[in-house]
Amino acid sequence: MKVVTGVVGNDIHVVANRLIDISLQARGFEVFNLGVNTSLEEFIDAVVETDADILLISSLNGEAEGWCRDLQFLRSEYNLKEVIFVIGGNLAVGEAAQSDIVPKYKSYGFDLVFHQIDLNTGLDEIERFVKERV
Amino acid sequence: MSKLLIDVGSTYFKVCQTSGISQYFRDFKKDIYDDLVTKCGNIFANYQKEDIFICSSANGGLSTLIIGLTNSFSLKFAKNIAFNSGINIIDTILYSKIEESRAPSELVDVVIIVGGIDGIGGVFDEKLFDYLKNVQYSNIVYVGTKQDVSFLSAHIPELKVLGNIITEKLHVNGGELKEYLTNLYQADIVGKEDIKHLYEITANQIYSTPYIVNRSLPLIDANFEVVNPFIVVDIGGATTDIHYSRDLVRDNIVSESGYDRLVFKKLGVFKSRETLIFAAKNNEFVYELLAYLNVTENILEEESEKSLRILMQLSIFLVLYKVSRLHPLYVTLHLELLNTIVLTGGITKVLSYEEVEMIIEFFYKKVMNLHAIPNIVMDSDYAIWTLGMENNENSAS
Repeated sequence: MKVVTGVVGNDIHVVANRLIDISLQARGFEVFNLGVNTSLEEFIDAVVETDADILLISSLNGEAEGWCRDLQFLRSEYNLKEVIFVIGGNLAVGEAAQSDIVPKYKSYGFDLVFHQIDLNTGLDEIERFVKERV
Repeated sequence: MSKLLIDVGSTYFKVCQTSGISQYFRDFKKDIYDDLVTKCGNIFANYQKEDIFICSSANGGLSTLIIGLTNSFSLKFAKNIAFNSGINIIDTILYSKIEESRAPSELVDVVIIVGGIDGIGGVFDEKLFDYLKNVQYSNIVYVGTKQDVSFLSAHIPELKVLGNIITEKLHVNGGELKEYLTNLYQADIVGKEDIKHLYEITANQIYSTPYIVNRSLPLIDANFEVVNPFIVVDIGGATTDIHYSRDLVRDNIVSESGYDRLVFKKLGVFKSRETLIFAAKNNEFVYELLAYLNVTENILEEESEKSLRILMQLSIFLVLYKVSRLHPLYVTLHLELLNTIVLTGGITKVLSYEEVEMIIEFFYKKVMNLHAIPNIVMDSDYAIWTLGMENNENSAS
């Protein structure tokens, strides 16, 4: 399966990005890593160019909230109904409860939201979601 | 017998007889010859072929239309390669919006189609063919995913297929496309069909308009209120030419002519509008300049009279910027020595003297740190071109 990944917005957490890339490859995914400082439009465009199955956006400084609000709009532009949209990392500035964050990002159009959750746990969850969908 | 002088521009035909100059807006649905004959056929009937002289700026460089899958990869990469090959991008089409997109009315030299990394198929479909039915083009090249090659080749006659410009890592690989575009450009210099056709009207050599303008330069200060050293800026629909006194260049090149010229094929307010906007947006002064003109960058996307004026003002600024010491890629002119700026071409039909003065003041203040500006001369009745044509014709006879 093809996964497009990268860090959204003005965020340069390159180590986390590299770890996600390596972990995905270790699980057999074909990875297209856009790196840090990536805009939402670039993510969507990469999904279109590669015909990816999953978009996995990461964010560590809490900026994702401001950068991902247009996901529904961009998703509908290209008719990407089959693509699984995932976001993970630290998704809020300061303290925020899972119960507030998860519904908010789901309303933006993400299928899976991982706020302050261990990487491998998140990846297990993605694999489970993919199997269920098949 | 008097002479008839014709200038074929990318936007207008200018026709000069003893009785005066008239101009005609071009019909882009027709080729140049048919359009010219429709509009001026009755005038031609009064002249012998030997007495008709034509120059053209409409053959200045290649034009391209790019159809790509996304803005961030296909279109971005293809635009970058085209810019680097000196090609005028007249439009870009995002494939997901191709059904709503209008086909360019003029003949496109080369259509570039791009999208998808190798390994994915079914990127393009009948929508592309429906769109291309309405596009007049001379060449068409495909540089997208390999998997769509046979499908596209079966439906698009004369399709040239080159290696994908998007690598499997989503990086750019422009070598083959760049070489192809550069070769096309060389072939174009030999002569466009559209222009060759005009020899049915004239028995004389057809020259490029910048050449003709250059011929008039030694005569300019005797005929206009121009003081040496000066520059002539000809901003048209497709290209911008700058002609300058060699006194403004401090180099050790010995030249027969006292004047040189630079052609900016990418700068024009009509045919090369998109490349002009691209250049403007990448200029470090542009936002300050837009604020000075009391507009926002949204004006660049509008299709209005005001937007055209702003684009023309921007093009004056960009041309001066590109020959200033801030832009070492082009010839550097010592603009602090400049006495006169002469403006000619379509720009003089749209901008007022005050609008030109405003932008030149901004340039001199921000870039040159000078408060005094050169004298401005607006050649709004194409007198420089007429002078050049007459001079050329006299020296030929």
